[in-house]
Amino acid sequence: MKLLNMIFIVDDDPIHQQIAKIMIERQAISTGIRVFSDAQEVLDYLRDKSGDSEALPDLILLDLNMPVMDGWEFLEEYALFCQQLPKQIKIFVLTSSIDEKDRERVAGYSFVTGYLTKPLSKEIISHLS
Amino acid sequence: MNVVRLEQHYRYLQHLEAAINACAFSVSIDALGIVTAVNLQVTTLLHQSPDLLIGRPLTSILPPESLVQWYDWYSKVLDGASVSGEIGFKLPDNSPLWLEAGCSPVCTNDGQVEGCIIIGMDITSKKLAAIKREQNEIYYSQVLEHLPLGLQQFGTNGENIDMNSRQREIWGDAHPFFINPDYKWLQDPFYRLNGLAAIFEEARDTGKTIKKEILLRYREKRIRNITRLYPVYFEATVFPLTDKARNMANLFLILDDITEKKLSELSLQKSERLLDNIIENLPIGYIQFDNFGFIRRINQTQRVFFNSPNPAMRQPFNVMNDELSIAFELDKLFAQALDQNKTFRIEKRIDFSQDSNWTTVDREVYLDLTVFPVVEPVDKEMIVVALVNDITEKRAQEEENKKNQVFLQQTGSIGKIGGWELDTDTRFMRWTDQSYFIHGCLPQEEISLHKALSFYSAEARENLQQLLKNCSDTGRPFDVYLSVVANGQQKRVRYIGQPGYEDGRLVRIYGVVQDVTEQLEIKDALTRNTELMRLFFDTIDMGYAAMEKNGNLNFLNRKAEKMIGHSVAIGSNIFEEFPRLSGTVFYPRLQECIEQQTSQSFGIYFSGADKWYDFLLTPMQDGGISVFMRDITDSRKLQKELRKANEQLSNLNKNLVNQNKQLEDFAHITSHNLRAPIANLKALMVMHNEASSQHERELYLSMLHEVIKKIDETLNDLVEVVQIRKDVNVEKEKLLFAERLQKVMDILLVDIETSNIKITYNFEAAPFIEYPKVYLDSILQNFITNAIRYRSPDRDPALHLETTKVNESIILTVQDNGIGIDMERFGNKLFGFRKTFHKNKDAKGIGLFITKTQVEAMGGNIKAESHPGEGTKFIITFRTE
Repeated sequence: MKLLNMIFIVDDDPIHQQIAKIMIERQAISTGIRVFSDAQEVLDYLRDKSGDSEALPDLILLDLNMPVMDGWEFLEEYALFCQQLPKQIKIFVLTSSIDEKDRERVAGYSFVTGYLTKPLSKEIISHLS
Repeated sequence: MNVVRLEQHYRYLQHLEAAINACAFSVSIDALGIVTAVNLQVTTLLHQSPDLLIGRPLTSILPPESLVQWYDWYSKVLDGASVSGEIGFKLPDNSPLWLEAGCSPVCTNDGQVEGCIIIGMDITSKKLAAIKREQNEIYYSQVLEHLPLGLQQFGTNGENIDMNSRQREIWGDAHPFFINPDYKWLQDPFYRLNGLAAIFEEARDTGKTIKKEILLRYREKRIRNITRLYPVYFEATVFPLTDKARNMANLFLILDDITEKKLSELSLQKSERLLDNIIENLPIGYIQFDNFGFIRRINQTQRVFFNSPNPAMRQPFNVMNDELSIAFELDKLFAQALDQNKTFRIEKRIDFSQDSNWTTVDREVYLDLTVFPVVEPVDKEMIVVALVNDITEKRAQEEENKKNQVFLQQTGSIGKIGGWELDTDTRFMRWTDQSYFIHGCLPQEEISLHKALSFYSAEARENLQQLLKNCSDTGRPFDVYLSVVANGQQKRVRYIGQPGYEDGRLVRIYGVVQDVTEQLEIKDALTRNTELMRLFFDTIDMGYAAMEKNGNLNFLNRKAEKMIGHSVAIGSNIFEEFPRLSGTVFYPRLQECIEQQTSQSFGIYFSGADKWYDFLLTPMQDGGISVFMRDITDSRKLQKELRKANEQLSNLNKNLVNQNKQLEDFAHITSHNLRAPIANLKALMVMHNEASSQHERELYLSMLHEVIKKIDETLNDLVEVVQIRKDVNVEKEKLLFAERLQKVMDILLVDIETSNIKITYNFEAAPFIEYPKVYLDSILQNFITNAIRYRSPDRDPALHLETTKVNESIILTVQDNGIGIDMERFGNKLFGFRKTFHKNKDAKGIGLFITKTQVEAMGGNIKAESHPGEGTKFIITFRTE
């Protein structure tokens, strides 16, 4: 199994941030993990490093329900420039919502690889890579 | 003839007859042997009268013993001769009659023999004795002749007089006795050497009988081609015979062949010597006791074994009264063997250190004792032999093995269980490999009690020490959980111990030690989790139950049990435990909840119990359902609502549509906002249970606390919201805005002063309102709190409240100069449950939601106008009747 370069966890819930980080670290599927509480920061980072393939993450776990900028806004913004990125970043929505409407809405974003519901588990993580 | 002479003669005859009649038998017979006269003696002897006897043949009356003799006599008499001698007859009873008789012819006048007269004296008894003597003599000579013993008669100088056939046989035909008449055996060097001559001389000289064993000669025996000489032994007895004058007359030699006896005796002796040798050199101890228990004999092995300091001490030793032997019941063993005449084999532990008299072994030994009685062949006395086999070592090995076995059994080969054993004498411990492993040290390390205790914390050490002491003092076993530090790693172990006795003496304490760290942690975690859950769910003033779709309960809090009316076992079914639910809307709403995966909120009136319960069903991700329930019976507000519902049906009708929508929102909210922390809760529990280190587990526990706190908060908020939404007919009262504002400002005094916010108001247009006091207070409090929380750092915070009246509605505007909200982005979420739009840590996203709820519950509405950096203006429209 190939190690993922870098995983971004985007979630405002500090507890969930820790949980996700620990669980992913333990599964050792990536070389690094970064945690963001603010989706805006992630957007800024991706825009900033859009020329540096190495600096870009291989995978993003994105929460939907966040203050200031939520997951939906992030997806809207990301859709605008993802074509210009030097590599394809896998994006998984990771939310506590089991609302079918949310799932359908996420399915509308073709660049989103999957819709995952919390809590994270070993099984889920093993399917990420 | 002269008559006188004749007369005289006649008288003489008469006299003679009388004399004969007095002492002798007299019978006269004629020439034909017919009796013609008998005297009185004869008739008396035969018990018959003379008439019956006369005229019968003599041979029929008294048959002669020997007819030959009689006819010899008779014929002689008939020839005119007289015969005398001993003659025998048979009496009618067949007994013999012997007579010393004379038989004389009786002649006629012409000199013709016409008969005879027999006169005889009875000599029967004398004759019979003589016959017997004669017979005896024959018999004795025959016996002597054929005696199995050799018998020889010598003269005093050793001259051979006579010998019997056996003696001849013994000497053999070639012996000089029979060849050389001048043979002087007493001078024969052979007989001088073998002692026969000496015996003879001694008997002759002392007059006593002398008996000795002698080797008389050798016998040749050919075995295949080899001729071997075998000694021939005889017992020689020489005894003298004296004549009437007490002079030595003859000497007799009796030779008795005792070769066989002698040989077997010799071989017996030999085998005895051999046996003796064997016994002496037996590798096991041999003790022979006499009938009384004194030691007769001890073989070499036993002597070495006893290592007796003073062998003479053995002399007075008696197994029946020696202290040591009594102490170890050897006396009983001895007595048993003797009494029951049986062999006893027994293993005995004997502590020789208790004896200083007859052994210096000075230690405890195990002996395999075989004790058996024997009849002593010589004196026929019953004696006792003890075979002593020192099996101390073997026994020690066995003991060791046994211990090992027990040890192993007790330890178990699987699991983190180690065995241990404390030798109470040496204070050293025996550990199994697993014990070493649990304590984090290398096997084979010497473990003293001190060392063993050093693995434990001071407290645990003291505890363990005390337990060991109790165990050794009172024999009390123990089973305790202790903390041990192995290789710097903290472990929890279970320590189980029990005393081990040998002959009633404590020699060891042994048991097992088990690493229960993991076990306990899991148990702890589970207990803690359950406790936390219970604690958490018990603190909320709502009934809570988690159940499967089919209604099987996984969890209930205390309140729920109270509402159901009795305690409920986990796993039972809610419809069975709470039968009042059947036939109510609960079941269809539950199905809806399951099918649509949406929360369902509804109330049920239980008419029997006159109770109103509110229910909130929320689907959980694992497929289960959360049930929240509230008893709202006691709420006067509800009763009022019911009353008013009747009175003001039309009014409510309008609001119901709105409220339904709100309820749907609410369901959505709960499913979202409860799910997030519950997902965290689940993940954390999994992580906690799988955690490998204490540190990690502690981290997860603290995180769990956080999550639970959050759930608690969320639930409290939800409870508040649910309350508000249900209490549409909450009691209204006439409230002065200024008065309520002042009250709220008093509550928030500290915050207001710290933030230095300036609060102004103008309620002149509408100074009061019919409204639930709690709601209005809450609304005002929220606006002030928001204004303080989201104040701008660029200016002094200020808040202005104002009321106006538009179309019978009272409008409250609340204007702050805070940081404002981007209405384009967040307008739709502004009044959402737990929605925040700031990075402010205090933002909980609940205040405006509740405000909106409280406003809408009373039929009003709320909106906001804002620009980032310029403050926010809220406009609340209170519906009036």
